[in-house]
Amino acid sequence: MQALTVLYDPECGLCRRAHEWLSEQSKIIELKFMPCASDEARKRYPQLDHDLTKQDLTVVDDLGRVYFGPKGWLMVLWSLARYRDWSYRLAAPELLPTTKRVVSMISQNRYQISRAAGLNR
Amino acid sequence: MTIVISTYLIYLAISIALTIWVARTLHKNGRVFLVDVFHGNEALADSVNHLLVVGFYLINFGYVTLALKLGYAVTSAEQSIEALSVKVGMVLLVLGGMHFFNLFIFSRMRRRSHAQPNNQPPVPPDTFTAVNQEA
Repeated sequence: MQALTVLYDPECGLCRRAHEWLSEQSKIIELKFMPCASDEARKRYPQLDHDLTKQDLTVVDDLGRVYFGPKGWLMVLWSLARYRDWSYRLAAPELLPTTKRVVSMISQNRYQISRAAGLNR
Repeated sequence: MTIVISTYLIYLAISIALTIWVARTLHKNGRVFLVDVFHGNEALADSVNHLLVVGFYLINFGYVTLALKLGYAVTSAEQSIEALSVKVGMVLLVLGGMHFFNLFIFSRMRRRSHAQPNNQPPVPPDTFTAVNQEA
């Protein structure tokens, strides 16, 4: 695995802030960012359900492995030199349900969180 | 020479001898371990080994010196031996503690240096999709 493509929601302030933060981190695996359901994304992944990618963060590696939502976030953490250990910790069987719940909660409320944090355009 | 002075001198002799013996043992047997930790870099292993032994000497001699004072009168050979047993016993316990601490540090260094970077993704993928490499 050489690169991960992150299909993010360009409408959400929190996601843009996360994008900025990620671009500053040192990486073990290259991260590419693509707005979800964009022409670019549709062209690169013709078989992917692009309506699904609008609901939650989607990560696809260069071999076509797809990770939705919390799994996508764990893969992004895994790509970062400083947080690879954390991706295993958060993906451990004891913590994975909590990780999924917290990430899903943040993801579903991302517009409200962005507005509350003043991250909107 | 009073009995107190001779107690002190015997205490110092036993403590110093024990410290030197433990330090030499550590120095001799720790080397192989450190060479392995530093992936065969013998110069670095010897340097770290030496620095560890210096620290070990400093801590132990420091303790031996601080614990010298008896604080009570010793008038007979019997009392002298009793006082020595307490003092030397404490030195032995400190040496033992230091020894295990050293072993713990060594094994931790070794485990760290041998830890392989984990290349397995933390989670399995949800699904697979075709990738249009040109796009």
